Amino acid sequence: MGGSGDILGNRLEARAKDGLVRFPCGACPSVAGRYEEIGSELREKIAKMFGRSLAIREVDAGSCNGCEIEISALNNPVYDIERFGIRFVSSPRHADVLLVTGPVSRNMEAALRRTYEAIPSPKIVVAVGACAADGGIFGDTYATAGGVGRVVPADVYIPGCPPRPELLLQGLLLAINRLRQEPGGRGQASSGLARS
Amino acid sequence: MNRQGLEGYAGGMEARFPGRIRRVGYNHNEIHFHLEDPRDAPGICGHVHASMKARLATVVCTDERRHGNGFVIRYVFEKEGEDAFIFIIVPLGHGNSFPSIILHVPGASLYEREIRDMFGLVPAGNPDTRPLVLHEHWPGDAYPLRKDFRLGTKAGRREGVYPFLRVEGDGICEIPVGPVHAGIIEPGHFRFSVLGENIINLETRLFYAHKGIEKLAESMAPEEIVRLAERISGDESVANSTAYCQAVEKILEIRVPERAKKIRTVFAELERAYNHVGTLGGMATDAGFAFGAARMGILKERLMSLNEALCGSRILFGVNRIGGVVPDIGQENKELILGRIGVILRDFDKVAGLLGSKSSFMDRLKDAGRIPKKAARDLGIVGVAARCAGIDLDTRRDHPYAGYNIRNGRTPQEVVRDQIEMEKRAGDAMARYEIRINEVRDSFGIILGLLDLDGDGLCGEVPERMEPYQSALGYAESHRGQTLHWVMTGEDNSIFRYKVRTASFCNWQIMGHCVSSDIVPDFPLVNKSLDLSYSGNDL
Repeated sequence: MGGSGDILGNRLEARAKDGLVRFPCGACPSVAGRYEEIGSELREKIAKMFGRSLAIREVDAGSCNGCEIEISALNNPVYDIERFGIRFVSSPRHADVLLVTGPVSRNMEAALRRTYEAIPSPKIVVAVGACAADGGIFGDTYATAGGVGRVVPADVYIPGCPPRPELLLQGLLLAINRLRQEPGGRGQASSGLARS
Repeated sequence: MNRQGLEGYAGGMEARFPGRIRRVGYNHNEIHFHLEDPRDAPGICGHVHASMKARLATVVCTDERRHGNGFVIRYVFEKEGEDAFIFIIVPLGHGNSFPSIILHVPGASLYEREIRDMFGLVPAGNPDTRPLVLHEHWPGDAYPLRKDFRLGTKAGRREGVYPFLRVEGDGICEIPVGPVHAGIIEPGHFRFSVLGENIINLETRLFYAHKGIEKLAESMAPEEIVRLAERISGDESVANSTAYCQAVEKILEIRVPERAKKIRTVFAELERAYNHVGTLGGMATDAGFAFGAARMGILKERLMSLNEALCGSRILFGVNRIGGVVPDIGQENKELILGRIGVILRDFDKVAGLLGSKSSFMDRLKDAGRIPKKAARDLGIVGVAARCAGIDLDTRRDHPYAGYNIRNGRTPQEVVRDQIEMEKRAGDAMARYEIRINEVRDSFGIILGLLDLDGDGLCGEVPERMEPYQSALGYAESHRGQTLHWVMTGEDNSIFRYKVRTASFCNWQIMGHCVSSDIVPDFPLVNKSLDLSYSGNDL
């Protein structure tokens, strides 16, 4: 995107010290065209770890709705994410994953916190998009918290403005991989999840 | 409109309000009436609205205390059927209150509440004293758009309850919905008062996605704000960035090359098309017709991948820049557009034919969410929501910009035919469905008509420096309707004030009016048929 690097850049380096997972993006050449491949791996993992289905509750915490367009696209017949055992659920009580977009506007802070609390443990929080990482172009202002991690504990940040469907999938894969690879890393989370 | 026409308005106004108008200014298609006394504002605004047949397009407040003007309010009216914007400019001096104009111009209510929240000025006479943008937890003494408020201020929180209108009586229940909704949509709260399934009252509470965009812009470089404008509402990126760029281009008198104008228009129409297709699919989903939704979903995906092939972004980020556009459309991409649109249009016609032949689908649309024409006029509704109720507004035609040349293309017979067509429209979800179907086809037609690109400039000459305190209005028609951006330059190449009013801000007001004879299960369908943006409203 012409001349916009500085203000839209995926400034995830700042988060590295928290031990959070990050991976390079921008144009995300590492995942381009690999939707099916990532999806198959995800399906296998979900089969083993989540009894074949992963439930996601999405919360827009003040995004521009760009991320929502791509997340919704996962449900269209081209991407058809349900093939991989993933579905979006209405109630946080039914969810394994909380998928959050936006810099977390001040007016959404309480709602986001309450949605997080309503999800039964163990739970995974995935922050989607440049704004969710560190506020992105909207930054940290009177009206925004400056990133999802400031309000609820985020496990994985998916960069991009907005991230493409395959990158969203890659982020979910990373999130559930992380639960397996780091037993105890999130308290009782991984021991409660691994059913195989 | 030319200078002579605008001067005609000036003569009429001065004769009607002798001695009340301090000064008259001109700026392209804008005429500015500077008033002497704020107390004259309601009467003069009422005259412009009712007698001169102009709809309230936006209200802009600025904090000019450092320049000795105090706060200044600009009421912007759009003349029906003419390419003219009428500004009533009211300096408030040292007062912290201004007279409300809602008795004369009902559509002003939300703007006045917005000004109270953001500037701390009290609209005397507006009975709705509830907060709008800043929710009840915001402390009462901090006003974000005042110049002495720092962008990064973290205000404390206080306890508070928002008083929704209560409906009382036997059997009345309340259904609170949101701000976190069941699907993948933006945040907002709906409070239904119902009797059985019937909606007695609906109150919409928004601004959950308020991100401080207008304040933020005051800290950004003008060319960075193009990227910010794209993110006012992700699905309206071309329309909003076009409106912003055009405002700046108007101030700086930049000559945008013809080729760039045409490319801007091609992308604007691609945006309108992919979103209309998405909305049509969403309406099928909300009416419970999954097959129609799936087919529209495929078409939307194809349009988004065409977007990506042309500009690198699936949702058309990065298209505009001040003075022109970033991506070119070369011979190869021209052929790509021709080929893909041909195929998409063929499939679209098939799917539209299929949807139209399913009575179980069409019956759901008929009479659902009927917009009353009078309310739509009074509240200043725009876009598809206005056109579905027979109000013939279209910024692309009324204020030609970029590569649009719609008016000249209509013969007198076609004008009459369009008028008759408008009168027949019922204002319900069915009318919105039909309009969207037609507009998708129109968009493809406009794109194909513009592909004959000549000249080679992508960007005009942009001056290094901007004169401070110059202002202009930029506008565009998104798939939702008119988006209006008012820009005032500041010192050292900064932006002093950036006021954005998207179509969603106007159109959310009609939601409560159009569901009053519906049942709750129709609400998602009605909501989708209006297709409003939360982020674009909340800023």
